[in-house]
Amino acid sequence: MGNKQTVFTPEQLEAYQDCTFFTRKEILRLFYRFQDLAPQLVPLDYNSNPDVKVPYEVISSMPELKDNPFRERIAQVFSQDGDGNMTLDDFLDMFSVMSEMAPRDLKAYYAFKIYDFNNDDYICPLDLEMTVNKLTRGELTPEEVGLVCEKVINEADVDNDGKLSLDDFQNMILHAPDFLSTFHIRI
Amino acid sequence: MWGNLNSPKTGENLPTKKHQKNPQKLKPPSPSPVFSPLPSIFASPCLCSPLPRKLQAGRPARPASGIRGSEGPLRLGRAWARLAGAPKILVPWRTTLTRIGGQYGAGTESYFTLLRFLLGLNILGALFQGALTLLPLLLLGPIPGPPSQGVHQPCGPYDPLPQGLVDYPTLLINLLSGEGHLEWSPLFYGFYPAQLSGGTFRLPVAYLLSTFVSGLLCLLLILHRSVSGLKQTLLSESGALTSYSHRIFSAWDFGLRGAGPVELRRRALRYELQVELEEASERKRAEARTRAQWAGLWATRILLNLLVLAMLGAAFYGIYWAVDPNKVLQTPVLRLLVAYLPSIFISAANLLLPPVFGLITGLEGYPRSRQLQLLLLRTVFLRLASLVVLLASLWNEITCGGKPEAEACATCGYNSAERPCWETRVGQEMYKLLLFDLLTALAIPLLVQFPRKLLGTVCCGRLGRLLGTMEFQVPEEVLGLVYGQTLVWIGAFYCPLLAGLNAIKFLIIFYLKRFSLFFFCSPASRTFRASAANFFFPLVLLLGLAISAVPVLYGIFVIPPSKLCGPFRGQVTIWAAVPHAIQGLPRTARDFLFFLGTLSFAVPLMLVSSVLMVYTLTLASSYGRQVSKLKGHIKMESKSKVLLAQRIVALSGEERDL
Repeated sequence: MGNKQTVFTPEQLEAYQDCTFFTRKEILRLFYRFQDLAPQLVPLDYNSNPDVKVPYEVISSMPELKDNPFRERIAQVFSQDGDGNMTLDDFLDMFSVMSEMAPRDLKAYYAFKIYDFNNDDYICPLDLEMTVNKLTRGELTPEEVGLVCEKVINEADVDNDGKLSLDDFQNMILHAPDFLSTFHIRI
Repeated sequence: MWGNLNSPKTGENLPTKKHQKNPQKLKPPSPSPVFSPLPSIFASPCLCSPLPRKLQAGRPARPASGIRGSEGPLRLGRAWARLAGAPKILVPWRTTLTRIGGQYGAGTESYFTLLRFLLGLNILGALFQGALTLLPLLLLGPIPGPPSQGVHQPCGPYDPLPQGLVDYPTLLINLLSGEGHLEWSPLFYGFYPAQLSGGTFRLPVAYLLSTFVSGLLCLLLILHRSVSGLKQTLLSESGALTSYSHRIFSAWDFGLRGAGPVELRRRALRYELQVELEEASERKRAEARTRAQWAGLWATRILLNLLVLAMLGAAFYGIYWAVDPNKVLQTPVLRLLVAYLPSIFISAANLLLPPVFGLITGLEGYPRSRQLQLLLLRTVFLRLASLVVLLASLWNEITCGGKPEAEACATCGYNSAERPCWETRVGQEMYKLLLFDLLTALAIPLLVQFPRKLLGTVCCGRLGRLLGTMEFQVPEEVLGLVYGQTLVWIGAFYCPLLAGLNAIKFLIIFYLKRFSLFFFCSPASRTFRASAANFFFPLVLLLGLAISAVPVLYGIFVIPPSKLCGPFRGQVTIWAAVPHAIQGLPRTARDFLFFLGTLSFAVPLMLVSSVLMVYTLTLASSYGRQVSKLKGHIKMESKSKVLLAQRIVALSGEERDL
């Protein structure tokens, strides 16, 4: 590939390398993946910074995200206007944070945003219920779900306000031994 | 704010990106003032979405230090990881095992990994023993002819080979029970001569050495496996994973792809949560029990334990009774049945009793994890003790109940009338057990699992589903493996090619179990803690090794060897060959080796080992203390982070007010 690629200007590529955890090759590979998702929409030439958004339905059909119960929230968190339609930058951001090279703090921050379904900067019991239901696909009874949510809040809520703030979440997730390896999508 | 490209790592763009996301929403002042300054701690590159705007502003992008500067070491690390992973390709069945793990869970995968490990052990042991006993016999010495027939010998006539022509049924029975032509063959101990031609290679010493070295090798390999597994488990299960919050937020693997693994993980998660909730409710119920209920519960428990003991006692008595030589029957089928009677009893006990135990433990009112542990303990005891009972029965027969002055054992020290070659008899018993175990493993898919699957498809409704769904019961299967390996360890001294036969048997069982897994079994609904697989199974294996060492060592040191067969004929004990051989060594070597056996070596060795052990224990406890102190440090660090951030916000608020 070397310097022969015509998709990005050299400044763009350098900027992308600074902003994400990916190398040149990986950025180009990711661009081609993005382009494959919607060949009609995404131009092969990004020199002029076209404002192209791939709709959410196409993103959620990617094999990496297809079976993930949280794919909708992931797309919403990383898209610019919160509706799941992603530009190339959002796409690169998403996979950069979910890669194995992202530090724990960054992943914890985004995990908090993903689990915060109503975007109020707190994981309240309602958010927890939705998380549990998505994880078990409704196979637990409502009492069991309520019990689990209550126990989670009891364990992690440090400032005793009945919901989890970012600090509570980060404190709790720092002790999880395999958070780094599970919050990881390989592409 | 876009101008700070020289320090993109600070991630100051993060809160601004949030503002851009919802420009219409008026954000209420966040109650926790630490929210805004927190991203400064990230020390990570900024996000890319602001980028196009920055570039449109026409500013040149100055590459700051950061991810590109560290690209070199990053690439090197990746290449090294790829190189270190290369030897793993040599290990067989890797793809099969990963497929099994993905579809059926980590517990099932651990069973197959254990099977592969034992296969390797057996092949190693077989090669060792073959190289030290069979190979010299074939290369050097005279192939021993049949023992002298008809001549009156001091310790009873020993006549294993059948006279004249043999009909097919008898041939088959001889093959299956290790008698006839097979008895006087390199398969069994009795065949090997006391001396090889040439006189330089001492077969008795090599025979003993091969047993000890292969036993030691097995011990070292199993210890290595259990220690590395323990290290992994200690790291990953520091107790924190049992908390609900970790299960909800970090147990889902975002990298899972495909409907199969996703479904598996979901079921495992659901099962774990249900088990936790059930245990919590069980604990609450246990606290609420009255005195009378406790008394009733304990009475039930004692009664059920007595029932379990009674069943075990009945099984053991049956096994003890089945080892009876005095049955000369005419029909070949009956003869075969009598020859296999101990094996049939042991296999029947091992198949029928564990489900009964399962029902009984369900009635005892323990929480579910405790129930599983109790069930496992009982099954382990049943499996290993049945072998011990069989050996006790054999011992009784060979040594006339431990009374050397009894009539049958007076002349030769062992029961020479019935067992002129007792080592071969023990070897034959182990050989029959091995064959019957293989037969059972072949019969179960055919006679139990296949009809169940058929019935499951034919019958509809709940009954059909109950019959048709079969799961791979990992603990029972692993205990079956341990049982098979233990009887090989017992029998390998008396039947040198048994390890090789066991390797073939395990190979057949691997493909058989894989076939039945994919065709009959549905994915596991129970999760398996890694601690169980990595620690408990090697522990039971070690227990089997320890149990198998006892009869072998007893036979080597106490019981006099047969006078008519084997490489140790004519000696006082089997072990006597070793001092005899040491006598032939040069003086210094001889003195050194004899010194190793004296007390003046053993006692200082024991003292030094106990000192080392105490030192290691103190080191371990001090490391544990250090770990908890460091954990406390981390907590304090995060608290001080929060405090500092609050201070910054307060000060900047003041600054703005000024």
